[in-house]
Amino acid sequence: MAKGDMYLAQASDKEILKQGESGGAVTALLKFALDSGVVDAVLGVKKRDGNNRYDAVLDLITDPEKVIDCAGSLHCVSLNIARNVKEYLDGAKQMKIAVPCKPCDARAIIEIAKRKQINRDNLLLIGLNCTGTLPPVVAKEMLIGEYDVNPNEVVMEDIEGGELIISLADGTKIAKVLLELEKKGYGRRDNCRRCNVNIPTMADIACGKWGVKEGEKKTFTEVCSDKGAEFIDNAIKTGVIKVEPPGEDAITERKRKDREAIELSNKCEAEDLKELRGFNLDDRLAYWLHMFDRCIKCFSCRDACPICYCKKCFLEPDRGYVKGGEVPPDRMFHLTRLAHDGDSCVNCGQCQDACPAEIPLTRLYLMLNIKLSPMFDYVSGMDVEQKPPLIAAKDEEASIDDIDIFLVKGEASEVVPQQ
Amino acid sequence: MGEEVKGEFEPRIIGFTCNWCTYAAADLAGTARMKYPPNIRLIRQMCSGRVDPLFVLKVFLRGADGVFIGGCHPGECHYMTGNLSARRRYSMMKKLLESVGIDPKRLRMEWISASEGIKFSDTVKEFTTQIKGLGPGPFRHIETEGKEQK
Ligand SMILES: Cc1cc2nc3c(=O)[nH]c(=O)nc-3n(C[C@H](O)[C@H](O)[C@H](O)COP(=O)(O)OP(=O)(O)OC[C@H]3O[C@@H](n4cnc5c(N)ncnc54)[C@H](O)[C@@H]3O)c2cc1C
Ligand code: SF4
Ligand code: SF4
Ligand code: SF4
Ligand code: FES
Repeated sequence: MAKGDMYLAQASDKEILKQGESGGAVTALLKFALDSGVVDAVLGVKKRDGNNRYDAVLDLITDPEKVIDCAGSLHCVSLNIARNVKEYLDGAKQMKIAVPCKPCDARAIIEIAKRKQINRDNLLLIGLNCTGTLPPVVAKEMLIGEYDVNPNEVVMEDIEGGELIISLADGTKIAKVLLELEKKGYGRRDNCRRCNVNIPTMADIACGKWGVKEGEKKTFTEVCSDKGAEFIDNAIKTGVIKVEPPGEDAITERKRKDREAIELSNKCEAEDLKELRGFNLDDRLAYWLHMFDRCIKCFSCRDACPICYCKKCFLEPDRGYVKGGEVPPDRMFHLTRLAHDGDSCVNCGQCQDACPAEIPLTRLYLMLNIKLSPMFDYVSGMDVEQKPPLIAAKDEEASIDDIDIFLVKGEASEVVPQQ
Repeated sequence: MGEEVKGEFEPRIIGFTCNWCTYAAADLAGTARMKYPPNIRLIRQMCSGRVDPLFVLKVFLRGADGVFIGGCHPGECHYMTGNLSARRRYSMMKKLLESVGIDPKRLRMEWISASEGIKFSDTVKEFTTQIKGLGPGPFRHIETEGKEQK
């Protein structure tokens, strides 16, 4: 096995195969990680009380028999996996953990690992392809109002070919066009519309259903790191998963779906940022000041952001930038966070989900990040060895006098469609 | 130096200048009696690498019309890479300002060594003219209203 290898994988255990979303490979691998002592715990996502798919919870599992409780994909959640690992599991510094995670979770973990607040070496990241999650409360409203179903009867959600498809216990499937739902304020979380990293190749293993034939119970699995390769090798040897090579057609199909999803997200991005991009500077400033003045200074955005990294936060009054007890807070509040996180934002949407004032924070961060990324050749959350751009000055730069080298590079990339 | 002409907009520019180069160049410009507009107020830093993006944001929000950063030429920073980090932060800040709607032209950075008094006075002249053209900064009123002062 080596990085880049791909398989169609299936759990050998019958019950896991049955419960698994695709081929149950993720559950089988997680269980194997615990059984074989590769990790001390698994951080899974499961329905609260085993039945509420609109109230997903994280579960730190140490009993291998309990891993199956997490089988299946939950779409109506926005659990903050990276921040939980950092905050409540001591950044995985004391134990080894296997974490099934979407691209944004994996990228957030990698960004904060660069700041030494999570120990990446102690994590086994099992990535899941993703094209969107939904805010749970709004999703329930949508199911009642648009799908005309009882949310509690839904057993599965899926996003495929631009549609949101739900399955009911009796086997009925109902599909609706995502963009239509989103026009009405339903559908995916705002940031997910614009998310363009669907296959988590930054994890150790990337798993998904793309490339699997309709009706087959298999998980398309790509090995993404040496650690992932060694782990999968052992899993296959032990017989917990069965693998077969995916045909060329499966690989092509997966690529095609990925490309389609990226195109859709580019379209949404152009649409969502059109107004902001179209504003002249004065109107843009007026827009954001108006938004910032809705802020009740609850600190939720800061507390949710998985990459907010200062040990002693600059938004606290004793740092001298934002006075205590003032609402709305000094605008430094928002601009400080933007200056600290704009280059490394992974568009996970946690800040915006948490904001009671419904400030479209991810649009601001994304707008800045899109500009910075080509300037510094930096896509956040992809490689733990790549330093964040503001602290990545290289020795060669000492022989370049041009003040505007990065700005010029950024401008060169702006020729791409900017409507 | 220059008298304020009544009615004409006189920009307030904050200049964060490195002790080892641009600050010394300003000194040189002064002792050599080179003329440059009095609109710039210099704040001496030990290195351009000390200019935290938050300093820039804070002075803009407190009413500055323009912000200037002066550092040693690449390869000449006393702390080796302070100016290289400063250039990266400056580039990020340009885009941050643009993203929230503050004209990035209000922020300028130059390398000015201790011997470049003329470059210093020319840069300040040019930048002051540019800021005059742009008009008062978006938070200028805050200072005159005396609000939000620390
Ligand atoms: C929100 C979401 C959207 C997806 N969209 C696509 C897609 O567009 N294309 C595609 O090819 N694949 C997608 N997948 C992946 C796919 O649904 C399967 O998870 C994958 O094929 C693995 O199947 P499995 O049977 O091996 O996993 P299982 O054995 O069923 O294991 C599933 C694992 O996923 C974890 N999990 C469930 N929900 C979440 C969540 N919300 N966040 C983080 N972890 C979670 C559980 O902890 C569990 O360990 C998506 C998954 C999710 C969670
Ligand atoms: S941000 Fe991207 S990876 Fe994260 S939940 Fe949304 S679509 Fe999935
Ligand atoms: S700023 Fe918001 S979208 Fe960006 S990483 Fe932080 S929480 Fe996620
Ligand atoms: S979450 Fe929203 S209301 Fe709360 S501090 Fe952040 S921006 Fe302000
Ligand atoms: S010492 Fe002058 S810029 Fe670093």
